[in-house]
Amino acid sequence: MEHPVGAPDPGEGDSQLTAADWTPTEGDLPEAAGRRLSDTAWSSGLSVPDFAATIAVGLEPASVVQGYAVLQWSWYAGARYRSTPLWGSGRSSGQYAEQWQCPHGFVGAEHRTWGYNAEVPWVQDSWAQGWGLAYKRMVEEAVAAGAHGVVGVVDDMQYLAGGYTAEFRISGTAVRVPGVRFPRQPFTTYLAGQRLAKLLEAGYAPVSVVAGLSAVQMFGYCITQYQLSGTVAGSTWASTGVESVHQVNRAQRAARHLARQRISEQLAGDALHGAVLDQFEHEAGEGDMTVQCLLKGNRVRRFKPFDPVGVPEPVVRLG
Amino acid sequence: MTGPEHRLPAEGMPADHTPGPVDLAAALAVLTDGGATAAASGRGTTSDLSIDEVLLLHSIGWEPVDLVFGVSWWSIPWGAWQWQTGEIADASAAFAGAVREASDLMREECARAGGSGVVGVDIGLRVASHHVDVTLTGTAVRRIGDSKPGFDFISDLSARDFALLTRAGWWPVGLAAGASFVIAPRRTAKQWASQQGQNMELPNLTNALYLARENAMEAMQRSGLDMAAEGIVNVKLREGPLGHSARIMQFVAFGTGVRLQEGTHRPVRPDMVVSLDERVREFDVRKLRNTGRR
Repeated sequence: MEHPVGAPDPGEGDSQLTAADWTPTEGDLPEAAGRRLSDTAWSSGLSVPDFAATIAVGLEPASVVQGYAVLQWSWYAGARYRSTPLWGSGRSSGQYAEQWQCPHGFVGAEHRTWGYNAEVPWVQDSWAQGWGLAYKRMVEEAVAAGAHGVVGVVDDMQYLAGGYTAEFRISGTAVRVPGVRFPRQPFTTYLAGQRLAKLLEAGYAPVSVVAGLSAVQMFGYCITQYQLSGTVAGSTWASTGVESVHQVNRAQRAARHLARQRISEQLAGDALHGAVLDQFEHEAGEGDMTVQCLLKGNRVRRFKPFDPVGVPEPVVRLG
Repeated sequence: MTGPEHRLPAEGMPADHTPGPVDLAAALAVLTDGGATAAASGRGTTSDLSIDEVLLLHSIGWEPVDLVFGVSWWSIPWGAWQWQTGEIADASAAFAGAVREASDLMREECARAGGSGVVGVDIGLRVASHHVDVTLTGTAVRRIGDSKPGFDFISDLSARDFALLTRAGWWPVGLAAGASFVIAPRRTAKQWASQQGQNMELPNLTNALYLARENAMEAMQRSGLDMAAEGIVNVKLREGPLGHSARIMQFVAFGTGVRLQEGTHRPVRPDMVVSLDERVREFDVRKLRNTGRR
């Protein structure tokens, strides 16, 4: 599939793809999908209660819309060290990188005399590329369906073919608002039904779903290696103490902060509601680790003055 | 989310206040080219609260500020789990150190974000052979319009619980936690042989669980007293075999330390409601299909 005209090419280092980046002018929608979406029949992926609540707010379901992208990832191919901030030009561009030096002096050839924590840009960019492509394709379908937005968005990713191929999929229900001017691009939200109604009643407009993945690689120096194995230099007679594993803590914190930073950069002053953080880590051996954090949520914008609801009264239900 | 457009909940606002109809045209207008420029400049707020929780916080005059974290891994020396019975002091100390450091880091992040407390803290705990790791994730909050709040509390209570607790005159002060890991002694060969084929209690394991329980509960209580809490609410327990070995019993307890704000409890008197919805009598279509087949 070619990228739609007007959309930034996600393959050229744009790791912060958001709906706000794109005003579709000419899409890459499959011809059959275009015909189906322009038909008068509508479909909805909402549950019946969500469907009823969505209609009550004034949103009319137009079509179930989807976006897919299958990408090959070469995480550990030749480019492995190319963009690591410690060696490349990344450090000067503000990417996270830290080094640790062994306090022992020369001990042996296998002694880890230094260690590092570093942001892994190619993992982050690959994920953003796949997610961004799937997102754009879903939005493109919503535009073809004449929708103002997409509600009840569901997204996930799964590995195919041994873990080096990733399938991104995003879907939702495109909705129309009769008689209302179209926004610059369709809004998207993970919310639907009563939760969306409450958001609107509270004075927040859904802007878009946002997601960001951060990845930090840790190569432990001698102290970290000892702390994670409980021993000193592999001996059974000398052990580490009960102490904070400083290098791991720094890597874990950096991964979370990077994920939050990537999301914050997409907000442009708006607020994020209902954030969900998923953290993954892979220990490649004693002292080595990759930490990834996926953060996503609903970007919302206030459209009317703050109007708090009254203090709720507690109730006890009988029967 | 602070700004001149905000106002505190009005005194005496009727409890049955309901918002007006949704103006979708106005909502979508802020997503057009002209409206987009009206978005506030600077860093947006982030929160893992649901819209219900945000509304509830607003109703009591609070607002979310930022998503904040605290992560800490502490090492456990080699051999800690071997050649001994009784409490593994190194593991208990590593847990205490990790909780303390993670809380301190979260406290720093909250203060830096301009929050005065953290609600809805999600607590992750893992005990491995050579390390204990604790992860805290929550939303920093502050009173609406309070631009220079001082740090006050960390709490694993939800926004709903926080609203109810403060309404009753109590205030969260921090996370209280305690853990103990105890290795039960092996049975002697004679005991093992005499107990074969019988249904009976294994006192070595029961006693290990009780010892771990007492140590952990005492540690949690002590950590609550250290933060000047009068009590601990929402206590959660994790107990049973650790996983490395069936003889290692773990007991972990944590909750939110609370104290009275003005010296007296304010009773919350809920209204009783009876739902008028009649449960619809349903029948199972599958029964009709299966009629006469069996």
